[in-house]
Amino acid sequence: MGFVALEGVGKTYRGRTGAWEAVRDFSLELAEGEFFCLLGTSGCGKTTVLNMLAGFESPTTGRILLEGRPVRGPGADRGVVFQGHDSLYDWLTARDNIAFGLRLRGQGRAERRAMADRFLQMVGLTGQGAKHPSELSGGMKQRIQIARALANEPRVLLMDEPFGALDAMTRAVLQEELSRIWTQTRKTVLFITHDIEEACALATRVGVMKRGPGGTLKAVVPVDLPFPRVRTSDGFMATFRRVHALIHEEIHPHE
Amino acid sequence: MNSRLATVGGYIIGFALLFLIWHLAALFVVKSVLFPSPLPVFERAWVLIEENLLQEQIVASMRRILQGFFLGTAIGIPVGLAIGSFRPVRLLLEPWTEFFRFIPAVAMITVSVIWFGIGEESKIFLIAYTTVFVVIIATAAGVGAVGRDKIRAAQCLGASRFQVFLLVALPATVPYILTGMRLAMANAFVTIVAAELVASNDGLGKMLWDARLFMQVEDIFVALISLGLLGFATDRVFRLLIRAFAGRFNPTM
Repeated sequence: MGFVALEGVGKTYRGRTGAWEAVRDFSLELAEGEFFCLLGTSGCGKTTVLNMLAGFESPTTGRILLEGRPVRGPGADRGVVFQGHDSLYDWLTARDNIAFGLRLRGQGRAERRAMADRFLQMVGLTGQGAKHPSELSGGMKQRIQIARALANEPRVLLMDEPFGALDAMTRAVLQEELSRIWTQTRKTVLFITHDIEEACALATRVGVMKRGPGGTLKAVVPVDLPFPRVRTSDGFMATFRRVHALIHEEIHPHE
Repeated sequence: MNSRLATVGGYIIGFALLFLIWHLAALFVVKSVLFPSPLPVFERAWVLIEENLLQEQIVASMRRILQGFFLGTAIGIPVGLAIGSFRPVRLLLEPWTEFFRFIPAVAMITVSVIWFGIGEESKIFLIAYTTVFVVIIATAAGVGAVGRDKIRAAQCLGASRFQVFLLVALPATVPYILTGMRLAMANAFVTIVAAELVASNDGLGKMLWDARLFMQVEDIFVALISLGLLGFATDRVFRLLIRAFAGRFNPTM
């Protein structure tokens, strides 16, 4: 059994306008230490999959297991990095945001500070700890989010299009930084994106989803390339083309 | 620092301009003993200050405002938090707030005098009454406006329900509470004057009423200017508080 297992997971929303099947029969196993990118067009249900694994929403069918135990509600074993930076606490400094999880567990001030500074350094924000989120750029805020999630030492890191709202340059820089951090920590990561290049640059495996409604896993492409990834290398190009072909069928289904 | 200097300079010039226009209006436009120019009003104010009469009225009114205001706030914040946090509480209490906030405090003067007499209690009741609903509504709106991702982030860092409330919902609501308090303070000034006009032995409202009886127009103007300056000062304090607590992370407020 995998480290993380989603078994026949489905999610149907029922509202005033009728039922909407966001995800249908989604099965996936993640091994410990792998970086899995879930790639799909908008509306394919990829964020719903993440929300169910995070415990924010419960599946209508199937089950989700983390290290063999069923997932019930959100918990500290699954850290989440959100797409927007609304999740940061504006009234706290960058350092206090990073140490928020430690504070919840009642750790002492000195310990929290030391830990926060370690993770500030890891995400390349040494010396910025006293600033508030409003004083930081969009890219810096996402670095703080990553540091906050990692400082809490989750078993799995869930990232919901964390770089989607950033400009292309900042995004590329943060992708490289994230790759570096991941090669250091070897944390198990589920990364949601709609950017093929991003998926190929980060992942050890890329999962491509069918378009919605009733989105499900269509194919899994292993990316057996060394880190740091060279985006102009033949291997990278080949992987890109392969994933692109899979996604292209979802964007233009009737060709 | 320079911008603060500019702010204070702006206040001074603004007020000076106001008094200048008033002076010119009294000199050339209205020309009546019923509309005194600033100079005799300031002279009268000086006399009242020297005899300690103005301070007594100000202290009497401000004490009532602050007592009622803090009582109303102390009730309003927890009720607002409960309404914002728990759906059953909201369904139960929202009709109350929506009903009472349309009965103005001024309309409650008669019944509060019947219940509490013309002493301090009736004024404090009226100020608390005018404060509480504004604070409740602002606080409840603040709780409702806490971003979903802020709460989710805390949950997946391991926060309990109580920790989410104490460490996320509450601090995120502070700017809304302060804004509600600021609005309530303006209401309190309206209410105290009305209450003291009708039934009181002292205070700025009583001063206004007595001055009318004895046709002391300067006294009326002294009371009016005192109200304006007191309101202005308390509002500045709130603006500073809001900026200190919230401005840093919510520049739009």
